[in-house]
Amino acid sequence: MVCVLYFAKSAELSGVREELLQVDTPINSQDLWTRLLGLRVLQGHVVLAVRHQYVAIDDQEALTLRDGDEVAVVPPLSGG
Amino acid sequence: MSSQSPPLGASKKGRDIFKLSHHRLSVEDVVAAVGSASCGAISLFIGTTREDQSESGKVIGLEYEAYEPMVQSELAELCRRLRARWPDLAHICVHHRLGWVRVGEASVVAAVSSPHRHDGQRALVCLLDGLKANVPVWKKEVYEDRKASWKENAECAWASCHGNHDAQTMIGQ
Repeated sequence: MVCVLYFAKSAELSGVREELLQVDTPINSQDLWTRLLGLRVLQGHVVLAVRHQYVAIDDQEALTLRDGDEVAVVPPLSGG
Repeated sequence: MSSQSPPLGASKKGRDIFKLSHHRLSVEDVVAAVGSASCGAISLFIGTTREDQSESGKVIGLEYEAYEPMVQSELAELCRRLRARWPDLAHICVHHRLGWVRVGEASVVAAVSSPHRHDGQRALVCLLDGLKANVPVWKKEVYEDRKASWKENAECAWASCHGNHDAQTMIGQ
């Protein structure tokens, strides 16, 4: 079970700030992306963060997720 | 017989100080955080909220949110890179707002202290570039008509306006 955190535009689109997700691992980031709620409009302009490291969404990126891991949905940044 | 003491400053480690705050930022606090007797220069940046215009009218303020644990780790990594490039830097401090920020208020205050100004000034530019590219903070512009839109930094690799440094794109409303 991993905890998915939604930020900024992705939180508005999904309607939630966080959700628990049951996933098998390893899983590639593309497959994980398909499990996430209603975020199609962000396609191509979003990355994930797993254990505080940015991860691109593609089928090459194999993730080994551990129970209790945090996965963040990261729309384009606008800090500073 | 006393042992030889190390050269002045050799055992002193530079401080990296970060703060996210829901309250008004204090420039004085940031400057005080990087002050050092060995430094001849403090390079300072203040990012303020502009009163931009759009079809929805004037910007009345910004709403900021952040993935706080990762802000810490990304800023720490950024400072590591800055110190590797400019080993003479003394201290680095970044304070960033969260929550509602009115037009005219500071949203970010950043300062770097260094023995001489050139390293500090260059490091400050890189600090801001790195902050905009990698630190997980987001801002939403709110307009007179209460509509809002999330902004994107051109520095961010996955922004739709990436590479276009004069443009920021609004993604949906």
